[in-house]
Amino acid sequence: MKFLYAAWTVKHKPRSAADIVGNPEAIKTFSDWAKSWSKGVPKKRAAFLYGPPGIGKTVTVEALANDLGVELVEKNASDYRTEDAINRFAGLASQYGSLFGGKRIILLDELDGLTGNADKGGVKAITEIAKTARCPVVLIANSAYDPRFTNLRSHCLLIEFKKPPAGEVAKHLKRVCEREDIQVDENALKFIAQRSEGDVRSAVNDLQALAQGKKRLSYDDVSWLSYRDRQDSIFNVLRMIIYGRTCAGAKQAVNMADVDIDMLFEWVYENVPAHLTDPHDLAQAMNALSMADVYRGRIRSTQDWSFTRYVIDYMTAGVAMARQNTKVHGWIPFKFPGRIMMLSRSKAERAMQLSIGFKIKRKCHISAARASKEVLPYLKIIFKNNADMAARIAKWLDLDSEMIEYLVGSKEKAETITTFLS
Amino acid sequence: MSFEMWAEKYRPKRLDDMVDQKEIVERLKSFVKSKNVPHCIFAGPPGTGKTTAALCLARDLYGDGYREHLMELNASDERGIDVVRETVKTFARSRSIGAIPFKIMILDEADNMTSDAQQALRRTMERYTETCRFIMCANYSGKIIEPIQSRCAPFRFTFLPREEHDKYVTCIAEGEKVKLLADGAEAIFEVCGGDLRRAINTLQAAASVNKPVDAKLVYSITGRANPADVQRMMDTAMKGDFLDARKQLRDMIQRYGVAGSDIIRQIHGEIFKAEIPEPWKIKLADIVGEIDYRLVEGSDEEVQLSALLAKLVEAGSELKK
Repeated sequence: MKFLYAAWTVKHKPRSAADIVGNPEAIKTFSDWAKSWSKGVPKKRAAFLYGPPGIGKTVTVEALANDLGVELVEKNASDYRTEDAINRFAGLASQYGSLFGGKRIILLDELDGLTGNADKGGVKAITEIAKTARCPVVLIANSAYDPRFTNLRSHCLLIEFKKPPAGEVAKHLKRVCEREDIQVDENALKFIAQRSEGDVRSAVNDLQALAQGKKRLSYDDVSWLSYRDRQDSIFNVLRMIIYGRTCAGAKQAVNMADVDIDMLFEWVYENVPAHLTDPHDLAQAMNALSMADVYRGRIRSTQDWSFTRYVIDYMTAGVAMARQNTKVHGWIPFKFPGRIMMLSRSKAERAMQLSIGFKIKRKCHISAARASKEVLPYLKIIFKNNADMAARIAKWLDLDSEMIEYLVGSKEKAETITTFLS
Repeated sequence: MSFEMWAEKYRPKRLDDMVDQKEIVERLKSFVKSKNVPHCIFAGPPGTGKTTAALCLARDLYGDGYREHLMELNASDERGIDVVRETVKTFARSRSIGAIPFKIMILDEADNMTSDAQQALRRTMERYTETCRFIMCANYSGKIIEPIQSRCAPFRFTFLPREEHDKYVTCIAEGEKVKLLADGAEAIFEVCGGDLRRAINTLQAAASVNKPVDAKLVYSITGRANPADVQRMMDTAMKGDFLDARKQLRDMIQRYGVAGSDIIRQIHGEIFKAEIPEPWKIKLADIVGEIDYRLVEGSDEEVQLSALLAKLVEAGSELKK
């Protein structure tokens, strides 16, 4: 079985209701109801599971069907759902279900996705099924209290799913790591779990993006995530750009991104090399990004924001059209922009460098930022080699003992310099 | 007060003391003579005397009390719009007391100002021309918005030529009683490429070892101070590992603060030394030139240079065929 590049949300999906993260009461209510069908048709023929995304509603139904050994007949938002279509599908399923004594569960997922016109009459048809079904019918939506569902609701057993606590999510992540044979810091898992705000699916996605291919995952590897907002969608956007076949398709990705153009640029810039491996394609794509960047510069200097359209052309269509020889194979994870990650690391060191930079600035007509990069390396050499010269410079720049210690790199040596000072 | 860092100690005090940039110095002297200074942009690579020229100009203009008529702001540290609205404006609008009716504001590293701040600045420059003249120092004038550029007299600073550089460095070595050998001075020029601040810092760091300063010592110092192993990065790219090459580039720029213009200058030098077919050398030089120009226009250093690395990857794969 080639699981190497499978999405972990699928690969490590709970197979049994007992493995599901959180919501024990809801799961028990649901499972009692499903089991009660073996003793005859219960009062409510449909169960309506609702709650925020990614917390295991669909998984619960799948796992329970697996536990009970019944077939699951499923329809979700990606299927066409007019009244006719639903009747054809559900009507059949419910009738057959009765013949085999409830050996089948009908699942209508993503009810929120029922749109006014295209799925016309859909809610009415579903309500009809909920009233007359002869096998368990399960409905799933993010919110049960949408006005469209008022009538439907009264025929359903309402079961609310809540966000599982971070601790539970972390436990699940840990299980995934064990199966993937990855050593992981508790703190790192806690961090990912907390950030997901109960969305287990996105937590597992995050974990995969961060940990796939690694043997160890430390807190440092994940802490930069704080820069990121919920960006499930960014992966789709990147896919549209890097694997786009038409210019229009690639350009459209920009509208779907919930990050600004500069951030999207960083994502594309980070991920292009791993996905366009043929040298010619790569050079082509990097040149497109370089040109996009040139136009960003032109916007800056002219303040004419209408040039943004060329930035977008180059960074989307320009990248998409670069693909000529690279073959698509396997699932390559998208990575968070490394440049931004790097900025969030070694904060303490940069803070120290900058504070020395400010001391230099006061004397040397140079910005602290630049001094910390351009002058500081030389100071380090001087401080390591020549305690006398170092002491005089330290006094002149008014460096404190911590700064001196940073520059020499050891406590003992710092003391020699301080003795020179007094 | 004695200066302990030589780059500061030997910074020229008067326009007459300045080495090189002759034409610029002449024009600045004429400003002093007529006691009038326009808004200026001093553009050019680091360590070529932009800030020094501005300070010398002020000292020649106002005399030793020049500090009272001058404000120096560093746009890299204080680059937001609030600084322009408050600090700069307050300084610009107050009248100067003395023979010269205006003050001078030096905006150093002005190319790091946000464009919002630059927009705000353009009004201030216009409204308070009578009381304040601006000198903007920048590495890339392309990063300064056009409306400001059009209000300023442009001055282009260039790297010091070899003779001027050697003269200055030798002079400092004598002043500090450091034994500087001829190949040492040559090595300093080779690695610093006419950036005088870096040259002097290199000299001082080398002198701290308390040995005669020769080429070997200079290279070992700069190897540690400036870990821009451009050759290794180029090799990595030519072998086809773009991601590793880009990582090296990122380290140079972000962790060690190597300037993009330095890196590209070194790449240009390496190309003609590299063992690749002759026609490829000129092909690559063409690309290097294009990328260099894009950098000067004010683009992102890492993005531009990694586009160049990708070209090297392509060249490397062509060569294998």
